[in-house]
Amino acid sequence: MSTHVAAADEAILIGPAEAAKSYLDIAKIIAAAKESGADSIHPGYGFLSERAEFARATADAGIVFVGPRPEVMAALGDKVAARKLATDAGVPVVPGIETAEISAAREFAALVDYPILIKAAAGGGGRGMRVVASAAQLEGALEAASHEAEAAFGDGRIFIEKYLARPRHIEVQILGDEDGGVVALGERECSIQRRHQKIIEESPAPGLSAPMRTKIIDAALNLVRAAKYTNAGTVEFLVEGDKFYFLEVNARLQVEHPVTEMRFGCDLVCEQLRIASGGKVPQVPAPRGASIECRINAEDPEHDFRPATGSVMHLIVPAGPGVRFDSHLAVGTEVTPWYDGLVGKLICFGADREDARTRLVNALDEFALLGVTNNASYLRAIVASDQFRDAKLSTRFVDEFFARWHPGDAEITTALVAAAIASDGAFAEEQPSSSASRPDATSRSPWESLKNFELWGTRR
Amino acid sequence: MKLKRAGDPREFDVELVSRQGTALRVRIGQQEIIAEFAPNAAGGGTLSIDGRRYQTFGVRRKDSILVAVGPASFEFKSAEDSSRRRARGLAAPEIVAPMPGKILKVLVRDGDLVDAGQPLVVIEAMKMETTLAAESAAVIKRVRVAVGETVDHGSVLIELSPAPGSSTGESGPRES
Repeated sequence: MSTHVAAADEAILIGPAEAAKSYLDIAKIIAAAKESGADSIHPGYGFLSERAEFARATADAGIVFVGPRPEVMAALGDKVAARKLATDAGVPVVPGIETAEISAAREFAALVDYPILIKAAAGGGGRGMRVVASAAQLEGALEAASHEAEAAFGDGRIFIEKYLARPRHIEVQILGDEDGGVVALGERECSIQRRHQKIIEESPAPGLSAPMRTKIIDAALNLVRAAKYTNAGTVEFLVEGDKFYFLEVNARLQVEHPVTEMRFGCDLVCEQLRIASGGKVPQVPAPRGASIECRINAEDPEHDFRPATGSVMHLIVPAGPGVRFDSHLAVGTEVTPWYDGLVGKLICFGADREDARTRLVNALDEFALLGVTNNASYLRAIVASDQFRDAKLSTRFVDEFFARWHPGDAEITTALVAAAIASDGAFAEEQPSSSASRPDATSRSPWESLKNFELWGTRR
Repeated sequence: MKLKRAGDPREFDVELVSRQGTALRVRIGQQEIIAEFAPNAAGGGTLSIDGRRYQTFGVRRKDSILVAVGPASFEFKSAEDSSRRRARGLAAPEIVAPMPGKILKVLVRDGDLVDAGQPLVVIEAMKMETTLAAESAAVIKRVRVAVGETVDHGSVLIELSPAPGSSTGESGPRES
């Protein structure tokens, strides 16, 4: 039985594994809510969570949607409308214009200075984006982008914006209630991304000055107040030097919300439910320490991060003070190709960033997952690296330092010794192990080392 | 035994030289490694090499060995199997689905001559597109899937035969 089904008091099958016929089918979800007598729907993240039409259909069925109102979602989901809303609220946006005219493009480039980014107005996901470094390249790039946009999206409209070379991604967690009350629960730094997918997130943003933090948080609050936003949401910004620019609003709970929960000692889903049932936004608790999350994905870092599937044969979940693991995995769980490859989130809290970081390194060392190829070892390498320790953060971090990754020779040698033992039949054969009977909670503890060890900092 | 890891050109010659109680001697190539292995109740064990301890777990499958060393996991396959195939002039006689998924594109037809690295099929799984390419030059013997089809892990998508002129390929030039 799936973990989420087992956790539920009552479960209703809404269709086959294929999301289009189940989790993306609005009518089936509303029917299941009615059948069970549920008076509200929490949309989670992914799937229909940011679809205004789902929020509307839910409300039309007399069911409370745990999230913002549909018209607010619709306005924020439209890039152009969201940009206008931000500008009107006095929130800076990345300078940009919509034009395919060379003269207008030249004028704009002269104003904001090169490099600039050319992209399809209708597009998304990095498709057809071009970085133009100098005036000489502009005309050719503009023509090519327009052709591509037409071919790919049937819409030749072009959007040109100032290109930020090494921005940081910083976002603000907000909550809003029906009475217009709005609070911010600090920021999260999510600069460590691969192909625009976040893989490591933390709070607070390291090295962000107090005045800058205040400015960014105030901008987020102004924006959500202007949008009459309710429930949980995230305002995303790009930050470069002493400038910050509004990126978008995610009108839902985010994957990385535990980072905020750990630092503020709150339960965001609980607050969402409270607000949805007519409650007010909470008093913001005083934040403490630092927290870092990494996303364990079913993917193969050695083969261009291609998705992996399989059945969990062995799992060790790290535990201890300040360690949290959010996952549906258990021994025997099938990771199928039907859904996103995110299979677990490992979050560590510490008195400060370094404390949280070393705790996360140790938690990753304790973690084990066999049967589904995953990125745990890759994440461990990043979190343990000097670059991450020194917070050399930008959205280019992965490209700059961890574009390619392979296990070290010492690691492979150890694995070969283990393989020799396995071939001798020393391990259980094809028999899933249980994490419940975890043998050795102190694995990798310095007390287990037979030689000298380092009591503080990260062992390499 | 000779082991290989996907994506790693090296071949590892591994031999369990001796095992007495928890004491082990393992030879990897020219190197001999002295280790200790204490099995635990969960089916894994603590492996000590050179004063460091690792939590390990291994599974022996029909055609591979899976091992976990701390957070890292490895899959080793017998090198003999892959070298036998290479002797026939092919890195692999067929393209199989590395994961269950949906066929998005089929880029070749029966009889096509393809180069090493040439994309053959695009498969969608976990919201991502993965391109499967030829590992060596080959002739497409038979395309067994069509666009839109859902395939299981390990199902054969394309059968290959050796490219003309490759070593001892069965479809090499014939005497008349």
